[in-house]
Amino acid sequence: MCLVEDEATGRIMASCVTPAASGMSVLTHSPRILNHRRNIVRLMMAEHPESCIVCNKGNRCELRKIAAELGVGESGLYPMPNPIPFEQINPFITRDLTKCILCGKCIRADHDLVVTGAIEYNNRGFRSRPATLHEKPLEDSICTFCGTCVSICPTGALSAKNTRYAGTPERETDSICGFCGAGCSLTIGTAGGAPGQSVVDVNPSKRKVSVNGATLCMRGHFAGDFLNTSDRLIRPLVRNPDPFSRETHLPADWDAALTLVATRLSDVRRTYGPEGLAFIGSSKCSNEENYLFQKIARDIIGTSHVMSAGWGFGQRLLARIDEKTLGSVRVSPLSDLENAEVIVAVNADPENTVPVAGYHIKRAVRKGANLIAVDAARSDLARRATFWVQPGLAGTAVVLQSLARALVAKDHYQGQFVAQFCSGFEEFSESLTNSPKNPAASVLHSSVQAAADLINGKTVAFAMPANLLDFSDGEETLNAILNLCFLTGCLKPKSSGLYVLNTENNLAGALDMGTAPNFLPGRVKITDAESRGMDMGELVSAMETGRIKAAYVMGENLLRCLPQQDRVAAALKNLEFLVVQDIVRNRTTEMADVILPGAAVYEKNGSFTNMEGRIQTFSPAASPPGEARPDWEILGQLVRAMGYPEQYQSIEKIRKEIRQAVPMYQGLGNHYQEWVRNRETGNPFICGDARFSFFPPSGLKTPSPDPAYPMLAHIAPVRYHLGSGTRTSRSERIRAWGQAGEVELPTAAFQSLGGNGSGKVRVTSRFGSIERTFRENRNLPEDQVIIPMGVNGNDAANLADLTGGWTLAWVCVEKIG
Amino acid sequence: MEPNPNPNPIDWTKVSAIIEEHRTRKWSLIPLLQAVQEAVGYIPPETIEPIADALHMAPAEVQGVVTFYAGFSLKPKGKCVLKVCRGTACHVKGSRSILRHVKNELQLEEGETSQDYQFTLETVACLGACFLAPTMMVNRDYYGKLNPAKVTTVLGQYRKNREDD
Repeated sequence: MCLVEDEATGRIMASCVTPAASGMSVLTHSPRILNHRRNIVRLMMAEHPESCIVCNKGNRCELRKIAAELGVGESGLYPMPNPIPFEQINPFITRDLTKCILCGKCIRADHDLVVTGAIEYNNRGFRSRPATLHEKPLEDSICTFCGTCVSICPTGALSAKNTRYAGTPERETDSICGFCGAGCSLTIGTAGGAPGQSVVDVNPSKRKVSVNGATLCMRGHFAGDFLNTSDRLIRPLVRNPDPFSRETHLPADWDAALTLVATRLSDVRRTYGPEGLAFIGSSKCSNEENYLFQKIARDIIGTSHVMSAGWGFGQRLLARIDEKTLGSVRVSPLSDLENAEVIVAVNADPENTVPVAGYHIKRAVRKGANLIAVDAARSDLARRATFWVQPGLAGTAVVLQSLARALVAKDHYQGQFVAQFCSGFEEFSESLTNSPKNPAASVLHSSVQAAADLINGKTVAFAMPANLLDFSDGEETLNAILNLCFLTGCLKPKSSGLYVLNTENNLAGALDMGTAPNFLPGRVKITDAESRGMDMGELVSAMETGRIKAAYVMGENLLRCLPQQDRVAAALKNLEFLVVQDIVRNRTTEMADVILPGAAVYEKNGSFTNMEGRIQTFSPAASPPGEARPDWEILGQLVRAMGYPEQYQSIEKIRKEIRQAVPMYQGLGNHYQEWVRNRETGNPFICGDARFSFFPPSGLKTPSPDPAYPMLAHIAPVRYHLGSGTRTSRSERIRAWGQAGEVELPTAAFQSLGGNGSGKVRVTSRFGSIERTFRENRNLPEDQVIIPMGVNGNDAANLADLTGGWTLAWVCVEKIG
Repeated sequence: MEPNPNPNPIDWTKVSAIIEEHRTRKWSLIPLLQAVQEAVGYIPPETIEPIADALHMAPAEVQGVVTFYAGFSLKPKGKCVLKVCRGTACHVKGSRSILRHVKNELQLEEGETSQDYQFTLETVACLGACFLAPTMMVNRDYYGKLNPAKVTTVLGQYRKNREDD
């Protein structure tokens, strides 16, 4: 099909493999060429099933388009059907390989774009087809159901399984994904007459510049059908005063609901003072919404209790990094990973948290970058590493400190960068040589030395998970990573080389807009102890003791994502007034006195800031269901209901205010993509006298676990849920996928429990217990287990300590049944 | 006729040794597969993942290579692999009826292996011994200028060899 004709000689060449030479004159649409193309299309059509009328690809089929352009109606050849069994058991992808024209794009996508390696051509000639290992169906292969192949397939061979809609969507609009911190650009296909246009199809957008290019992940591509769940909130609801009625809440109209909210909030404020109210915003809502939210809380109500659950899920880490790097390296484009020569991944599991970041890393490795993985559990990414270092008893921080020591000892560090931008190097290197060598770390000596040699003189990038600070040595690990950043000189103003795998779409943006206990918009730290807010654990205590009487929760399902869910429920019950603004009815909305229906990402205007520091604006692709409204509109109307003079009738008004108030966001809304700005004052790259300081290692004591709870459980994210899974658990496809969320046990523990994976285990911690089925994970150290998050109502969260790290828990495991 | 599942357990020490030997050589996938085919008689599907792991490839890619070449087989073959030539010269000299005769004698279709893993019947496009047409190859031995009687004799020979074991 790519045939072209050389004008001079009349030779017909395949343009995909013929290099261009100067002086060449090439005809692309000469009559001879068109004739050849027509014949090729006729041959393809002779093998293609004649099911165009019922094929889901409909008007988007490229074979049909090319046939139409070339004027080929009937093939005129003897039909050569090549029937292959239809595959449609998995809930995501329908595979009808009878329609495959062997273009190879799905295989290229699998090998080159997402680097998974689930499919390859099998056999040859007429019987050649893409196949998985052992020719099993996709769900029995290592396919991650990212759907990249589906979007790229030119025919109906691969299509998204859609139980509600068949054919081409009526309209397509670009938007940004609302799941993880990658912020992929999507094209949303909608159908159905207004009002209530429903989202029927999601594909990667065709924008030239985007985080994800042509790739997506299982959530972004397929879990969007949660928008059509019957649990959507479609009108404001007020608690039914009749406690014996079956209806816990009664519908109300907007004016009544908003007036009630404004009145009750003012009442509580008058009676108990502003500190009696708490505002819990969302790391999933947009920048504009979070800004307005904290403005209501801090300016109108006057409370200091502003935060989001995202604080415990990673904002804390982002804030620490920003502090320690003096706010001067806030931008880290993922595309720069492809230029990195060495990537150091510390406990990072992008395949389950931010798959698109994982693709960037894997593509870099494929191009020849070296991947050093320091990972206790050998995640999917660590399996591709050039070097896997299992920290073992030493702990991650000690391993990284040894790496720093090796770099300094061998003089493999960037002396110029250190001299120009850092201070405290002499004390640091002394403390490295003087600190007692951890005996456990000496076991890893040779790997650390080899890693140091690999790093010498190369461009390095660092990837870390958002829950780094949950680990007992988390702060030390962060310090060690930053020291390594200084030593390798990877920090630059537009490309920090530091990648934090934000698990939520606007974790960074919500922090930047001040929906965080210690920060005003623009990452301005609140130093005055009086005005500082509390973290979630303290907040729940304050609700229990009655210090906080009312709360406004926006976009957070606290009773699903927080640990100690019973305790949180009791605390919320203790409030005099609770407003919850959300998009689906969930456990938290059921506790509210007023429920306000908001709009999901694809149904409103807004902007998100992703893990790179990229601010992406989006417009609605569909309208919110029923009477639900975009969250920023609700907040704007609440502002008016509370008697505040300022009007927020358009998103542009909010953006204008943000641009003026928050220097970091000067560029918001200028273009659909902008970058956050680095700090100006005290920035070593701008001010000559500002310097990064090294963090000398402090003596670490490995905590001795309580013998009653000897194993460390990672409450780990999974790729088919986003965090606690409020939205993804309402996606028909994800539910049909039906993963049990098995507990993963190390070999010794698995064997001692019978060694055959039958029955269930009970996992108990000081705070709660859960029961799950289980299996073996040979890569886990003896004392660690993995418990998938999000599954089963996210009951795993109950194992963690509300006042500690939410993704780790000390547990004991016993077999039951 | 579906053969029974593999009668012989895979000798993993042999396979691991082969993998180790080829692990660091460049472009070593096909030599590795040839060695495994030689040692075990076929490429056991269970060996695909260890091979892929050792060579830093995706298992699906290794399988792609194995299924592409007719020389590699994912199913165990019989002790005697019969290849009846169906090339031009042999066809002209009557190889179609030779093939029919062999099929009747062995009660096998093309590509099949007998239940007791003694015989596998295949057809090939040309054995390169056209002056001996029609020809057939059993393991490494060529048999030319065939007629039904000679075919019966040859097959009888191999059957007898089996009885002697």
